[in-house]
Amino acid sequence: MNSKDFIIHSLRENIKEHFPRPELKISHIVYHDKLKQFIEISAAVGGRAEILGEGETIDNAIRRIFPDASRIACNLPEVTCATYNPDHIETPTELNGTDLVICRGIFGVCENASVYFEQEYLQRSIYFISESLLMLLPKDQLVDTMHDAYQRVPNEHPGEFRGFMSGPSKTADIEQALVMGAHGPRQVTVLLI
Amino acid sequence: MSTTHSKAAKAFLSDKANAKWHDKTLYMVRTKRDRLSHAIPEWEELRNAAQNIKQYSNSHLPELIEEFEKNATANGCYVHYAKDAEEYRTIIERILRDHSVRKLVKSKSMLSEECHLNPYLIEKGYEVIESDLGERILQLLNANPSHIVMPAIHIKREIVGKLFEEKLGSEKGNSDPTYLTHQARKALRQDFLNADAGMTGGNFAVASTGEVIVCTNEGNADMGISCQKLNISAFGIDKIIPDLESLAIFTRLLARSATGQPITTYTSHIGRPRKGGEQHFIIVDNGRSKILGMPQHRKSMNCIRCGACMNTCPVYRRSGGYSYSYFIPGPIGINLGMLHNPQKHSGNVSACSLCLSCSNVCPAMIDLGEQIYVWRQKLDVFGQASSEKKLMSKGLQFLMERPYLFHSALKMAPIINKMPRFLLYNRLNAWGKDRELPQFAKQSFESWWKKNHQSKNN
Repeated sequence: MNSKDFIIHSLRENIKEHFPRPELKISHIVYHDKLKQFIEISAAVGGRAEILGEGETIDNAIRRIFPDASRIACNLPEVTCATYNPDHIETPTELNGTDLVICRGIFGVCENASVYFEQEYLQRSIYFISESLLMLLPKDQLVDTMHDAYQRVPNEHPGEFRGFMSGPSKTADIEQALVMGAHGPRQVTVLLI
Repeated sequence: MSTTHSKAAKAFLSDKANAKWHDKTLYMVRTKRDRLSHAIPEWEELRNAAQNIKQYSNSHLPELIEEFEKNATANGCYVHYAKDAEEYRTIIERILRDHSVRKLVKSKSMLSEECHLNPYLIEKGYEVIESDLGERILQLLNANPSHIVMPAIHIKREIVGKLFEEKLGSEKGNSDPTYLTHQARKALRQDFLNADAGMTGGNFAVASTGEVIVCTNEGNADMGISCQKLNISAFGIDKIIPDLESLAIFTRLLARSATGQPITTYTSHIGRPRKGGEQHFIIVDNGRSKILGMPQHRKSMNCIRCGACMNTCPVYRRSGGYSYSYFIPGPIGINLGMLHNPQKHSGNVSACSLCLSCSNVCPAMIDLGEQIYVWRQKLDVFGQASSEKKLMSKGLQFLMERPYLFHSALKMAPIINKMPRFLLYNRLNAWGKDRELPQFAKQSFESWWKKNHQSKNN
C-alpha cells in the first residue's frame, strides 16, 4: 500500500462521524465611508494610502512620495519615471538593490488594508525584494471584509502566484519591539486612483 | 507532588525580572487580541463558522485530499504523501538530492519541528537556513522555540546583540531591535539569493484551488518561494479546507487571534511553480488520522496554530515554553503532547488551572481546558497519577465516608493554628512550600450555621 492509500485508509477507518458542510452566511461589518476606513487602517498597519491629487499624474505622485528613489522598477505603460523594466531581467539577484517597485492592485479590503494582487511580472520576487513598494489601486475597488474579498478571487487563475498584502513587511521577534522591513519592503504605499 | 512542568518552571521563575516581563508582554498581546476581536460584531459567529468548517473538513478528508491533489496537479505542482515523520524527512531529502541542492532556505514550520527535519538534513550535509527572524536567532543560538508564533519571546535583546556581533559581524554593544532586525535582513537577503531551494510550511491548503496559503508578517516565506526555482511546502492533513469562502473566515480570525493584527502582512497563495521551476507539496499524517478517531480529542485537529491559548494562559505566561516537555507549549501543546505520547508528556497536564480562558479565546473553538481535564482523569490508566495525590484522595474519602470522624476532625482543626511551624511546614506539606496556610476559624461553618439558624428561628 502506498502512503496516500495508507492515509486515506486510516482516515476511513478512524472517522466515525461525518459533520455536515456548514452554510457560511455571516452578516458582517459594513463601512459606509470605504475610502476613509481604508486610509485609516492602512496607517494602522504601518503602511500608507492616499488619493491621487487632482490634476496630478501618477509620475508626479511617485516623485512626490518617493523623492529619493533612484532605481525604480515598473512595467506599466502609465508609469514613465521607471528606470528599468524588471521583465527584461533574468534573476532575482539583479533585482536586488531596487529602491522602488510599482505594481497594480486589483482591489482593497477595508477591514484590514490588504490589497489583492496577481503576479503580473515575470519575477515573483519583484513584490518583495525592493526597499519600497507602490501599489496602484482604483479607488472604487474597495470591499468591506475578506468575505467579499474571496467572493472576488477567482477559483481559476492563470498566473503563478497571487495573494494579499497589507502594509510593509514587519517583525516583532526581538522583545516584541515592532520593526518595519524584516525581509520585504520597509515602506508600502497604496495610491488610490 | 511536583510534576515535570512545575520542576522546569522553577528554573524559568528563578529570573524574576524576566519572568515578570514574559507574563506582562504576553498579556499585552492578549489585550491586543481582545481589542481587535471586540471591534468585529460578528466575532463569535466567525468562531462558530471556523469550528464547523474544521469539523466538516476533518471528517471529509479523503474526498478533500483527492480534490486538492487533482487541482494542484493540474496547476503543475507535485503532490507527495508522508504517513509519518520519517517519510516526511526522506521525501524532502530525496527532492533535494535529486536537484543537487546544497543550501535550503526555510520559513517557519511547526511541522518541521514536529518531524525533526533540520537535524536530519544537517546531518546529511545540507546547509539549512531558517529565515523567520525569531527562528534564525534560535538556530544561531542552537535553541528551540518557546512559543509557536513568537518563537524567541524568551530571548532578551542583549543576547541577540551579542549573537549577531559574533555571527553576523554587527556593531559591538548595539542591541537596538531595529538595528539588529536590519542586520538580519541584510544577511538573510544573501541567503535568499544564493540558496538552491526554498521551503515553507502551510497555514491552509485549499482543496478547490489546489493552493497552499502561507501567512507571514516578515515576508520571509515569500522571499523563499520567489528567489528559488525549487520550492517545497509541507503541511499536515488538518490544514486542508474546502474552498476560498472558508479561507475568508480563517484569514479574519488568524492574525487577530495571534498578534492582534487585522491580517498578516502577507497572505500568499502558492499555486503554480515558478517558470522553469518545480513546486512540491507534501501532505503529512504523522498520527493525525488516528486522532480524528478519538471523539473526546479530535477537536484538537481544529487548531490553526495562532497561539492565542498560550498568550491567555496564566500558567504559560508565568512558566514559559521550556517548562513543557512537548515542543508545542501551552494549552494546545498539553493536548497534542498527550495525543503524541501520554507516558512521556503527562507531566504537562498539571500546567492548567482549569480557568478555561484558552477555550474561550480559541478561534476554532477547541475545548482545550476541558480536554486537559479529560486527560487528568486518565492519568491513572497511564500509570502517571501522583501517588501522593492518590493517597490523599483515599484519606479524604475515608474521612468523608465517616461523618463522626469528619466532624471531630473539623472541631480539632483550629489546633493547627497553634502548632509549631516545623510540624506544619515540612516536606510532607507540599501546599505550604511557597505559601502560608490559612488560619482555621475557631468555629466550623456548620456549627455557626446551626447556632445562628436556630437562634433566628427562636
